Amino acid sequence: MKSRGVFIAACLTTSTLLLAACGSADAGDDGPVTLKFQALSDQPAAIAATESIVEDWNTANPDVQVEIVPAGWDGVYDKLITQFNGGAAPDVIHYEAASIVSFARDGYLADLTDLMSEERRADIPEGILDSVTVDDQVIAYPTELQSYVVFANRTLLEDAGVEIPTGDTMTWDELREIAQATTEGDVYGLGWGLSSPTAAFMSLAPGFGGSYITGTGEDADVTVGEGEMALPELVHAMAYDDESILPVTLTQSGSEAIASFYAGQTAMTVQGSYQAANIAKDAPKDLDWVALPPLAGPEGPQQAANPQTLSVNIDSEHVEESAEFIEFFTQTEHLAALNEADALIPATTSAQEALTEKLGDENGWSTILASGQNFTAAPYLFADSYAQWKDTVATPAYQRYLAQETDETELADQLTSGWDEITQ
Amino acid sequence: MRTLVRPAQYVALACYILFLGFPLLWLLSASVKSSGELNSLVVNLLPQEWHWENYAEALARQGLVHSAANSAIVALASTALVILIALPASYVLARLKGAIRTAGVGWILVSQVFPVILVILPLFLILRTIGLTDSLVGLTLVHTTYTLPFALWMLQGYVAAIPVELEEAGAMDGGSRLTVLRRIVVPLLAPGVVATAMFSFVSSWNEFFFALVLLQSPENYTLPITLSTFIGGEGKVALGPLAAGSVLAAIPSIVFFSIMQKKLTGGLMAGAVKG
Repeated sequence: MKSRGVFIAACLTTSTLLLAACGSADAGDDGPVTLKFQALSDQPAAIAATESIVEDWNTANPDVQVEIVPAGWDGVYDKLITQFNGGAAPDVIHYEAASIVSFARDGYLADLTDLMSEERRADIPEGILDSVTVDDQVIAYPTELQSYVVFANRTLLEDAGVEIPTGDTMTWDELREIAQATTEGDVYGLGWGLSSPTAAFMSLAPGFGGSYITGTGEDADVTVGEGEMALPELVHAMAYDDESILPVTLTQSGSEAIASFYAGQTAMTVQGSYQAANIAKDAPKDLDWVALPPLAGPEGPQQAANPQTLSVNIDSEHVEESAEFIEFFTQTEHLAALNEADALIPATTSAQEALTEKLGDENGWSTILASGQNFTAAPYLFADSYAQWKDTVATPAYQRYLAQETDETELADQLTSGWDEITQ
Repeated sequence: MRTLVRPAQYVALACYILFLGFPLLWLLSASVKSSGELNSLVVNLLPQEWHWENYAEALARQGLVHSAANSAIVALASTALVILIALPASYVLARLKGAIRTAGVGWILVSQVFPVILVILPLFLILRTIGLTDSLVGLTLVHTTYTLPFALWMLQGYVAAIPVELEEAGAMDGGSRLTVLRRIVVPLLAPGVVATAMFSFVSSWNEFFFALVLLQSPENYTLPITLSTFIGGEGKVALGPLAAGSVLAAIPSIVFFSIMQKKLTGGLMAGAVKG
């Protein structure tokens, strides 16, 4: 009994000491405003670019200082949801459009509609701006995007007698023909890492007139028609009728599938545009590669936009200052520098042009950057049940289809009935 | 036939060690490969050329060494707290009968039921109220709380394995309760304490989620949080630097284990003599 009393006393003493030691260190109202900016930049060059922009801001704005809080992409959704609920979210939040829409719907993000300058609004392509507009409110500034790009082994294409496509776009039929022409012996025409195919199919569906999602929020519904099924069916036909896709790549991630491109096992590979920088760095010296023009379906070369974004915590005491900082951050030269470092596509036209002028044709940049004008709104961003449907219904259904365990009819049925089940 | 048994045992042992050690060997190998080689179809355990830049890049990024120091502080502090609390508590739990023991066991079992994601929000709010979010002290308390139930369960098993008759014999020889505990129970319990300490240390050293949510300032980040920044968006992974960072991250843990391993062996022998 005596020892229990001692233990309780010790606990109380410890707690008191801890409270005294760790009490809030917030200063009073005097002094400069400090904005916390949770940044997810992961590449050393992008981290340096971010730090440089923030440093420039801090020098120019002694009364509003920005403090970078670096964070990783892994687990950041859980971190943010806890921070929002705990009232401890940073002022400025870096994340992707697909994930912040739900935060906006739950009322955690400030409406930036009136705080975004006309200059910036006019500089952001409509499809990209739509991806950060929820219920007519701009809830974030888009900063960086990636598109899906075809990288080709020029030597293998030329050896097969294929003329390297040029021009603004190339059709999916052309891709299929080139893949067939270059498939010979141990070489396959295409390698495409489709272990998690939903994102690619959803992003590229607009080119075929597919949107998958109609409506928004809880009222959203999935529609699977010709436009939605066109790309999965094309991939299936190339893999099993033409046998022009290296089969193992269908079960690999994009990064894994690139190894067979380096080894000359595949003549082409579909990758995120940022891979251009990796290919330039890692590909064997004798690999003569080229980025092919953006792929266009019957409806055009559109791809659904899921940009990285900067948004403002609605509970921030300095929403206006935060928006001003984001305006500064998204200036042409800043976005160009950041996207060059990250090997991504700037979300503003002026930054895309600045980067094109600076980098020219090097490493396929002009082709990749040109695709920045082809982004369109992604309806799936605004459907509440999309994330759950993607993980539990769509991805397994596509995997079964690409493994020939189901046919087209079953795939379409699984995609729609699966949505109905999780939204009931 | 009998002469073949010993070589077969060695072969089996070698296979087992290789099986256990292969991931570490692969990690070491990946840490000195260039990104070109890591993205090649050619699979070599030994790198074609040694690429030490990964270590330089890992050390240069995001304060890896500082994060390791934070992890060490939190892991050692929470291990000490866990042992300090679990040692007497486990004795009580193992030796006492009745309602207290039942309640204790119930608490241990119930505490293991809740998933981390469920407890993080209330925990965050409590810690925020007392000013302990974004603090190594707060994280240490959380790690201690999270590890304690299992450590308690583990240690009470070791206590239960010590025959009560030894304590009774000590008492009959004139030893007081404290003397019996200090001279008989504690030495026999040493291997269990060491094993529990190892478990606590590893739990805290590797813990990611609580640290991710509770820590806000880079200067407070622990090693798993810093290593997670090597994995970027859009599927980008800095594989070489990540492997190098993971190798460096394993070193303090290996040092701790090698020290504790000696204690573990010593404890076992002490127990054998007294038993």
